[in-house]
Amino acid sequence: MSITFNLKNPRVHQAKQKRAFHNAAVIGLCYMFFFALLLGGIALILIHNSLAWLFIGFSVWPLMLIFWIKNALKDVPVKNTGDFTDLLSEDLLLKLKADTTPGNLIKILPTTSSGAFLMARFELSIPLLEQLLQYLPQATDPIYDSAIKIREKTNSEAITGAVLVVSLIENLPNYEYLLNQLKLSINDLYQGITWFNYLHGIVKDSKKPVHSGGIARDLSFGFTPTLQHFAINLSSRYYGDNLHIQQAENYEIIDQIIQTFSRGGRQNVALIGSYGSGRSTIVNYLAQTLLNADAKIPSNLKFRQIYSLDVSSLISTARDRGELEYLLNKIFNEIYSAKNIILCLKNAHLFFEEGPGSIDISNTLTPVIQSGSIRMILTMDDQKFLEISARNPALASSLNKIIVHPSNREETIKILMDQVPYFEHAKGVIYTYKSLTAAYRLSEQYIHDVEMPGKAKLLLESAASFAENSVVTEKSVETAVENSYGVKVKVADTTEDRDKLLNLEQLIHERMIDQEEAVSAVSNALRRAGAGVKNQGRPIGTFLFLGPTGVGKTELAKSLSHVYFNGEDNIIRLDMNEFVSADDVSRLIKDGASDSLSLTAQVMKQPFSVILLDEIEKAHPSVLTTLLQVLDEGILRDEKNREVSFRDSIIIATSNAGANTIREKIEAGQNVNDFKEELIENLISSNEFKPEFLNRFDEICLFKPLSKEDLVQVLDLIIASTNKTLANQKISVNVTPEAKQILIDQGYDPKMGARPMRRIVQKTVENIVAAAILSGAAQPGSTLTITPNEININ
Amino acid sequence: MAITEMFLWWYSSGWKVFVGKLKTALSSITDFFSMGSLVRTLFKPYRQISAETARDGASLDIKFHMFLDRLISRIVGFFSRLTLLLVGIIIIIFGGIISFILVILWPIIPLLPIVGIVLTAMGVVL
Repeated sequence: MSITFNLKNPRVHQAKQKRAFHNAAVIGLCYMFFFALLLGGIALILIHNSLAWLFIGFSVWPLMLIFWIKNALKDVPVKNTGDFTDLLSEDLLLKLKADTTPGNLIKILPTTSSGAFLMARFELSIPLLEQLLQYLPQATDPIYDSAIKIREKTNSEAITGAVLVVSLIENLPNYEYLLNQLKLSINDLYQGITWFNYLHGIVKDSKKPVHSGGIARDLSFGFTPTLQHFAINLSSRYYGDNLHIQQAENYEIIDQIIQTFSRGGRQNVALIGSYGSGRSTIVNYLAQTLLNADAKIPSNLKFRQIYSLDVSSLISTARDRGELEYLLNKIFNEIYSAKNIILCLKNAHLFFEEGPGSIDISNTLTPVIQSGSIRMILTMDDQKFLEISARNPALASSLNKIIVHPSNREETIKILMDQVPYFEHAKGVIYTYKSLTAAYRLSEQYIHDVEMPGKAKLLLESAASFAENSVVTEKSVETAVENSYGVKVKVADTTEDRDKLLNLEQLIHERMIDQEEAVSAVSNALRRAGAGVKNQGRPIGTFLFLGPTGVGKTELAKSLSHVYFNGEDNIIRLDMNEFVSADDVSRLIKDGASDSLSLTAQVMKQPFSVILLDEIEKAHPSVLTTLLQVLDEGILRDEKNREVSFRDSIIIATSNAGANTIREKIEAGQNVNDFKEELIENLISSNEFKPEFLNRFDEICLFKPLSKEDLVQVLDLIIASTNKTLANQKISVNVTPEAKQILIDQGYDPKMGARPMRRIVQKTVENIVAAAILSGAAQPGSTLTITPNEININ
Repeated sequence: MAITEMFLWWYSSGWKVFVGKLKTALSSITDFFSMGSLVRTLFKPYRQISAETARDGASLDIKFHMFLDRLISRIVGFFSRLTLLLVGIIIIIFGGIISFILVILWPIIPLLPIVGIVLTAMGVVL
């Protein structure tokens, strides 16, 4: 049976009638007629004219019309008959025609509120839909048929514009391919429909009358002037705000709090959970519920109000401890007498420890909590709760603990969908669906001090500053992360980025010679990260560079930092010979406030960097054990138990271990790959490294000693660097090939690599240049040519 | 056409809608005057002033004074609540009567122009 739009359906007529009458102009006109007739009638009465009855009599008709328009034409309710037209939303009833084609639909749907909503949130542009038209079926029947099914799947009340947009997409022969291109799935689009329905429902509910207890609600409760001064009334702040809870578990927590407060026993609840996990939302929602006369709660909790005590205002008012205790006792007495107050101590640890913005009033608070005479809600994070428990076990045991868990992905997305309209209103932007999922994904990866959903909300809010044309997209969220945390999260999408990644080896070789294996290993790791295919739970790459001194191990790390990590400054270098005792582990994880050069502090400040662990073999085994987790999971906890992520770093450890073997084997004509395994075995058997440590590296690269031919290139690089230094003085140096040969002969030492070469250049070339500048022989714009003769003379 | 539909609606679901509206209005008035709370707490001390009871072991004199204070607070509370309660009841009763009359008159309202025509034709003047 074909599914068609029936223009003769009574709902179509109703919708048309609503459009014609349910508007300010018609209603205004009716009022005008009503008043004109009524006042005219009264005026005629006053002049004793019998026509007055006619006027007054007819004045009721405009009034009837208004009542009819406002009530009968308010909605065009959906009829669950299964008929397509009976299921259509109001706006579609007015826009569809019996002969509507898929082409017409593409033009109609963006003009419906839900269609426009879905298209904006999923970045489905009209030109894109127009391009897809050629692949759509000729008739609308299959599209309407899918729409009926989508309505059922998404529990939608009506077939809206959003449902039809999704139906259009589902009717494309290979729609999964299109959605993959847009990095979406069909379930995401279903979520979009649910999102619209949810927001639409909130708007509808907000029009329902709310009952708050009336003018005499608080007559039987006491006055609380001191409390009013030092606390925030959460009940009056959030009443009528239409707060929602998206985590089923949090509803259970609210039930648990209500049970605790409505029965006898300890009248307190401690909500234990990390910052951002939704503790405040629970308290605010409870405050809103208690003040709602229609809420189903025990009568002894009805109209109770929650006040959040403000510790900073207490501290700033009280001149000394005595006054503070006096104020607190006064507040507690007021609360006790008032009988309708629930006291909330947000971040309760601030009331149990001395410090800036906090004060230890446990002596005053503990007896009040233990006696249970005042209803109290305390919120704190688990770590602080453990600390308080250790200091004051009596207090901890008298609290009714409820753990608040962070939200999962599905819940977080729902919470974001609920919150987004507020952000949009405040910031004047529109958030796309992918910005929401990106906020979840990236905040999970990069924000460690806050829990879900708080961290996703924070990220989404900050992404508003990076909106393009007032639209916050996935890219805006990525840019927010990159700017806030100094990391690279976007897949290389500009030609410049791609070229850099594809030509990394070449760029690195502009600064260092040979060592192809190592250069290629680090380049591949960066390409994987740049293409977004790296393991998100590990650092970008972890490498152990083995080889003699002066062959470019450190230079490769520096070159990498220069080429890809925004300059040589983005290298975090730790000389591991400074970490030779077990006590040095603490220096790795010191808090940034006490040691800004600790590994965790530096990485926290600069997560996107090259970490160079020089001479790793000299570090104490405990230090190496600490580093195992970094190499494996890219995570290290600092002394304050904060998670520090190394997942945007490339970790390079260098060692001279096995240097002699490498040199001997290379001199004997072997290739590094021929003896690599054997060398690693020897390092393990000689106890220089433990197997579990070596196993953690992505790759172990052996660095060859430099040959005389390599040194020619090294010399060129050193002279180029000297010329770069002299560029400011507009002087350049040119070393003849014969002079170069002499320098190489003097600077070549297979055991020391390129280091002696640098010293020779310093002693010869740089000394000659210095003397020429000072004597005036080298003037700006001149080029000094250094020949063997001059080297010999000096 | 629209006028016909309006009249049809007036005598069918319109009547029901009107009764629903009146119910909502009366319920809002009941909430506004906190009728439930006032009845439940009619004899409670006014704003918990002097509401405390004497501790065990307190002298008879203190007990008596506190009882007296509490009694006065309860009397003040009772009268203030009673006043509100009475005002609320009067308004609700008045509203209820008006509502009842309107519900009864509902079918007559559309006919008022006819009444007007008749009265005009009869030349009735005030």
